[in-house]
Amino acid sequence: MPGQPDLGRADLLTMLAELTAKPAAEVPDRIGSMELAWLVHLIEQRYERRLDLTDDDLAGIRTVDDALVVFRASLIATADG
Amino acid sequence: MDDILFSGHPTDVCLRLPEPIDRVTLHRLVTAAQDRLIAAGLRPGGAAALRLPPSLAYVVNLLATWRAGAQAILLDHRLTDHEVDRALTRLTPQVVIAPLRTAGGALKVFVDVTESVTRHADRPAVSGHAVIQLSSGSTGPSKVIGRTAADLVAEVGRYTRIDGVPLPGERIILLPSMVHVLGLVGGLLYGLHAGVELVPPQRLSGDAVLAAIAADPTPATVLGVPFHIGLLASTRPSGPLPQLRRMTTGGELVPAAVAQAFTDRYGVPLGNMYGMTEVGVIGTDLHGAHRPSIAPAPGIEVRESDGELWVSCPASPYVGLSDPTRWADGWLHTRDAGTVDADSGLVTVRGRLDSQVSVGGMKVDLTEVEATVAELPGVAAAVVVWDDGITAYVQPDGPLSEEMLDKLLAERLAGYKRPRVLRLLDALPRTTTGKLVRSTGALRSAARP
Repeated sequence: MPGQPDLGRADLLTMLAELTAKPAAEVPDRIGSMELAWLVHLIEQRYERRLDLTDDDLAGIRTVDDALVVFRASLIATADG
Repeated sequence: MDDILFSGHPTDVCLRLPEPIDRVTLHRLVTAAQDRLIAAGLRPGGAAALRLPPSLAYVVNLLATWRAGAQAILLDHRLTDHEVDRALTRLTPQVVIAPLRTAGGALKVFVDVTESVTRHADRPAVSGHAVIQLSSGSTGPSKVIGRTAADLVAEVGRYTRIDGVPLPGERIILLPSMVHVLGLVGGLLYGLHAGVELVPPQRLSGDAVLAAIAADPTPATVLGVPFHIGLLASTRPSGPLPQLRRMTTGGELVPAAVAQAFTDRYGVPLGNMYGMTEVGVIGTDLHGAHRPSIAPAPGIEVRESDGELWVSCPASPYVGLSDPTRWADGWLHTRDAGTVDADSGLVTVRGRLDSQVSVGGMKVDLTEVEATVAELPGVAAAVVVWDDGITAYVQPDGPLSEEMLDKLLAERLAGYKRPRVLRLLDALPRTTTGKLVRSTGALRSAARP
């Protein structure tokens, strides 16, 4: 789809695997604040832009899938903005 | 307290948030907060509980509590209401200081807090300690650890005698929480005492740490935990950083490859510290010359007893607990496995002898997590293990979903203590005598569909 960031679930799992030193297939689906900070950091490095996230955005994230939805929305918003 | 923490030049900057807070301004804020705490019912010999995220409000109210001659009970702002209520019942503070409003945005290292002060109990403090901290406990509820004013002053003094700490006029880029010992003493108290500027980055990201270093020409030391090494090792600086002197981390051991990635990228030493809530800094290797070993800090003795490290500690730091397997005859039994080299005196920590693990530098006792899971409604039995992350195996005694478990746990345990993996099993594996099996291999097999 045009305008969609090329960020997928597999990318997030690879990033988390780097943090936890586990194979991507064994990365838990549930993530906490440290994993979230790590993902935001790596995505900002990859896209060379700052994600404009609020505490509420992050508070609602419990799983890798939750995170993907929030990050993709933020990437689209910053690309549009 | 003013002699130790406020003796420098009045216009010296103590904190940069990023607006500079100089010593005279901080002193004015502290005395005003002291008046508010006294008006709310805090008395000398009483206690104030601080349930604040890292913020200027936290620093000001902590110092105001001490200046009022009272004990400060430090509650991590991530603790749940359930955990905080248990602590308040045990520790009977006269006032509780909590955020009324917070602002700043996501991933802030320091947040903007407007605090409220609430009268709580009308009793003296439970002990004569200056500070009370909670450590995840092996018996279910948290361990209560107290440190006297003299002990804190002695630790600040130790820091001044360690080779490689930031010097007066330099800066600490401060990442660890000041509620816990590394950020509290190694950051806040040492910084105020020695005239070292404390600079929390604007945000928890590699770029923000580098921006904080580059913001001023004076030498900077990054203080953090191993997680923060990864942030910096994966960030490419846009230019040279001549101000960066070193990065120093406490917490768990850093894998050699991570340490190498950091030093390759930045070309400065990666220092290592070993300490505990009970005694503060025990030993350091700030030049990264002895990794993974550390040299005992000045005035600290470390010995090895049956494979366990014991640390000199004149009085028991535990409140309401008399356990000779933890402290006896002037020695703290660390429950860390390790060795002390007879010739060099260097100490090598080899891991825990009990169920305590480290999550992003925060100590978590798996026994506390397991007791909390096992007490939940709908749970018949539970085993919590470390399997590259906190993992809970749960045997329900009725209808129970992972989602329900997650929700119940979120009410009872701070996020960093919660299991990353939950596995529901019809029956947990047991030995022939009926004891729960704890081997990760057997538990993984039992959970396989």
